[in-house]
Amino acid sequence: MPDLEKLRALAKETISRDDIKCLIGWRPGTYGYRTSPHFVRSPEDADQLIFSPLCSSNLATYLTLAEKRPVPRGAQPDTRKVAILVKGCDSRAVVQQVAEQGIKREAVYVIGCPCEGIIDLRKLEDKYPHTLERVEARWENGKISLDLPGGRAVFPREEIVAGKCLTCRYPNPVIADVTVGEDVEVRGSAGFEDINWLEVKNAQERWAFWRDKVNSCLRCYSCRNVCPMCYCEECILEKQNPAWIQRSVNISENTAFQLARAFHLAGRCIECGECERVCPVEIPLTHLNRKLVKEVSEQFAFTPGVDPEAKPLLVGYRPNDKEDFIL
Amino acid sequence: MSSKPKIGVYICHCGINIAKTVDVEELTRYAVKLPNVRVARDYSYMCSDPGQLMIREDIRKNGLNRVVVASCSPRMHELTFRKALVEAGLNPYYLEIANIREHCSWVHKDKQEATAKAKKLLQAAVAKVRFLEPLQEKEVDVEASALIIGGGIAGIQASLDIANAGFKVYLVEKTPSIGGRMSQLDKTFPTLDCSACILTPKMVDAASHPNITLLTYSQVESITGYVGNFQVKVRKKARYVDFSKCTGCGLCAEECRLADRVKSEFNMGIGNRSAIYLPFPQAVPAKYTVDPHSCLFLTRGKCGKSPKCVEACPAGAVDFEQKDEIVEFKTGTVIVATGFDVFDAARKPEYGYSDYDNVLTGLEMERLISSSGPTGGKLVLGKGDGEYVPKEIAFIKCVGSRDKSTGNEYCSRVCCMYTAKLAHLVKDKLPEANVRIYYMDVRAFGKGFEEFYDRVRREGVRYIRGNPSEIFKRNGKLVIMVEDTLTAKPLEDEVDMVVLAVGLEPRRDAREVIDLLRLSQSSDRFFLEAHPKLAPVDTATEGVYLAGCAQGPKDIPDTVAQAKGAASSALVLLSSGKVKVQAQISWVNEATCRGCGYCVEICPYTAIELVSVNKMGHEVNVARVNEALCKGCGACAAGCLSGSVQQKSFMDSQILPQIAALGGKS
Ligand SMILES: Cc1cc2nc3c(=O)[nH]c(=O)nc-3n(C[C@H](O)[C@H](O)[C@H](O)COP(=O)(O)OP(=O)(O)OC[C@H]3O[C@@H](n4cnc5c(N)ncnc54)[C@H](O)[C@@H]3O)c2cc1C
Ligand code: SF4
Ligand code: SF4
Ligand code: SF4
Ligand code: SF4
Ligand code: SF4
Repeated sequence: MPDLEKLRALAKETISRDDIKCLIGWRPGTYGYRTSPHFVRSPEDADQLIFSPLCSSNLATYLTLAEKRPVPRGAQPDTRKVAILVKGCDSRAVVQQVAEQGIKREAVYVIGCPCEGIIDLRKLEDKYPHTLERVEARWENGKISLDLPGGRAVFPREEIVAGKCLTCRYPNPVIADVTVGEDVEVRGSAGFEDINWLEVKNAQERWAFWRDKVNSCLRCYSCRNVCPMCYCEECILEKQNPAWIQRSVNISENTAFQLARAFHLAGRCIECGECERVCPVEIPLTHLNRKLVKEVSEQFAFTPGVDPEAKPLLVGYRPNDKEDFIL
Repeated sequence: MSSKPKIGVYICHCGINIAKTVDVEELTRYAVKLPNVRVARDYSYMCSDPGQLMIREDIRKNGLNRVVVASCSPRMHELTFRKALVEAGLNPYYLEIANIREHCSWVHKDKQEATAKAKKLLQAAVAKVRFLEPLQEKEVDVEASALIIGGGIAGIQASLDIANAGFKVYLVEKTPSIGGRMSQLDKTFPTLDCSACILTPKMVDAASHPNITLLTYSQVESITGYVGNFQVKVRKKARYVDFSKCTGCGLCAEECRLADRVKSEFNMGIGNRSAIYLPFPQAVPAKYTVDPHSCLFLTRGKCGKSPKCVEACPAGAVDFEQKDEIVEFKTGTVIVATGFDVFDAARKPEYGYSDYDNVLTGLEMERLISSSGPTGGKLVLGKGDGEYVPKEIAFIKCVGSRDKSTGNEYCSRVCCMYTAKLAHLVKDKLPEANVRIYYMDVRAFGKGFEEFYDRVRREGVRYIRGNPSEIFKRNGKLVIMVEDTLTAKPLEDEVDMVVLAVGLEPRRDAREVIDLLRLSQSSDRFFLEAHPKLAPVDTATEGVYLAGCAQGPKDIPDTVAQAKGAASSALVLLSSGKVKVQAQISWVNEATCRGCGYCVEICPYTAIELVSVNKMGHEVNVARVNEALCKGCGACAAGCLSGSVQQKSFMDSQILPQIAALGGKS
């Protein structure tokens, strides 16, 4: 568990630097378990920063989404760095963005936050219905404790963290200019046992599973919007000429959308789980992502978001790739 | 889109190729009813003059502005029909072909089903053609010179032809001399001309030709650019001998401390040379080279008190200070003539090539029997006191050819005849010797081959049909285990010498050339031609041609013929001075491009690069296509996540209606 005082001091020092324009971190939300992204522009702003098991959002999304406003004639664009707090999974998003030239490495100042797992609010809310009072949470010796309105509650980590954290192999940032807190133990395994139950089913059974899920999709595109890897100027989902995917919400177009999104993330998804977290109808997108990760790993011995120098999967070719999927 | 589409549909019977399986009349009736279709006609051969005339007249009379031809693959006749459009005053890219032959009639039997499928394909083509846009074909200038890689007979012949036509040639050869494998041969089948006698004059011509720059002991380091404008970088390796001073007297080699102690590559290791050497007496250029792998001075930094060669050279030509040199130039076209390697007989361990000195390969036999070879043409085995003249001699054919276990399924095309030739030469030198040839088939297909094969048999050479299973030594003799498959009798044949007719394989260092030019290989691993029948010397890269055994096994006449073919293709380009570049190329929408560079990495022709542009005051990277380099393969378009690269004539907005039509109801 990082020392908040140290974190804030570091943030103050960082934002005071001439070459940093902004620092992106987390602060408490307005109510309950919620936290918000926090854009630190002055040393005073840093006082509100937190890092806790409730800091679920992957802030790397903001690196690529930041709007590039027109620069007035005669003026220079602001090319100062953006500082960003990253958990292990978030750091992989930064690495992947760098690898595919979405951002320049020298344009970011990465502050690594080793992470013992983020609370899955759905699991928590099953136990404690949501509350309006602000709640604080912290990691404590492999457990997670919460100051709930009714008093303190302590949970074993496994009981309450997000599924992605149970399989996480990179809890310590893979890229960082500076790190706050000590490295933590890697608990996730390299296997894919978590999706085994789905893979053993036959095609009809799998489709039956997905059909229901896909059918319920509202096409709100929250999953796409939150994804740090989805930063196309004009996404295929909104293209009109031609409209590969119609706007109508039905099983056919929904399926086309889900498949397009999945394919666009093959070899790029870094398993931050944000898509699943924000989905209002609880579509288990992580299953789809994990399947992609598995195929990419087994077919091409490739893991996205670990090496900023690595060529992205789709553009690399190794003569010894298996290729046994080619008929 | 320009004006409202007025589409003409032309359905070809292709004799009965299509009409037998597809109801073409029904298809025509169907076509007229499709949206925007003005006329639909069917005809026995659309590609014929009357067929094309039909299209041209309709365009003129009915004011058609789009044409769909339902016929064979666009690879066959797209150009034909494009020309017809141009002649009628229409942009040639307003054409769409529905392939109802290869994609339909040839692969189906049921006429009703095939007709239904043909309707779909046609409907899809009509859906697409409406959205096609006119494209312009651009031209670029051609640099008036050629690069020839490989100085075997293929490379030499191609160089001479191009140089004689008045164009500059750069002939790059890896080894110290041009000549290639042919210079290693003794006589050549079927006419038995002495190989050196017919080759040497050509080598000398190439070296002295004012239009040919010979770069021997050199390697192409990089080739960039595109047809008409290749930028070439060649590394001239240091020979440690000053070219301008060396007179080729050979005193250095005589005096070299390693004289006669280094294995001679030219003699296939049967004879020896010095560390400073001329590969063979007729070598061109006749200049010596120090072999950096054996020379004492170069490997150990010391050769006695001072290098003997330096002392011996009256011209003071030996120069250990010499460094590699990089030569750069531009060429309009490239011919790859890098030849072949022979099959490594050690890969068939059952024949004992690695174990027994008296098991030789065909190429070693060429050297052994050659009057310029290490024994002066005496057919003897063993060394010094152990020297002996073999009496029982066996040849085994198809070693490393037509043999799946070695990965070489193909026939090497020269082994049958060179075996007959070598057998004849043996009989000529040792009339008493008993010569037999173990074979699977005799392929004597060329001009004068069958006659030669006949002659050799009449000379007493025995042909025994059977594929030996093993060779071992017993009582000092080689024993060949084999079944005579004509009499179905197992044999044990005791002989003094075995010659393995090893097949031809791609050069072991072929990868270098592949990487330079992004060539493809066919399944036999030789370089792949653009079309096995109609473009046998072209490659997928425009302006790059193939000649000789680099493209596949062949004998000297075929090699020379192909070299002349490649030269003529190169000359077409050089003499026209201009080359049309692809019109159906890629195009980048800079507004949506996210500068990821996927397309740059994917493009097999290095036709895309990232450039920095100013978008509202911000410097950002976007992809840009080099229009002269792009071949319109579409790989970039498939790789781009944001759909920002589009291939003209295959834009998303053009192919989506096509796909939709295929999926919808007809
Ligand atoms: C044992 C044997 C006997 C034969 N007998 C006959 C016969 O009697 N009659 C007949 O018609 N045919 C015969 N042939 C076939 C004949 O040898 C070939 O047809 C002929 O040599 C092919 O010439 P080429 O120029 O294509 O290749 P090669 O002769 O192999 O020449 C290729 C040249 O390219 C050079 N090179 C390779 N790679 C590079 C590179 N990367 N850069 C620069 N240079 C490079 C090589 O050093 C070589 O000089 C025989 C073949 C064999 C093996
Ligand atoms: S697809 Fe989901 S898990 Fe993968 S990177 Fe995007 S938001 Fe994270
Ligand atoms: S879904 Fe595809 S097109 Fe849309 S933003 Fe993500 S990567 Fe880009
Ligand atoms: S967040 Fe959920 S509901 Fe919204 S588009 Fe994505 S999958 Fe559909
Ligand atoms: S330096 Fe010595 S070994 Fe080398 S070529 Fe000269 S004499 Fe021969
Ligand atoms: S792949 Fe697409 S987005 Fe990436 S650089 Fe090329 S055109 Fe731009």
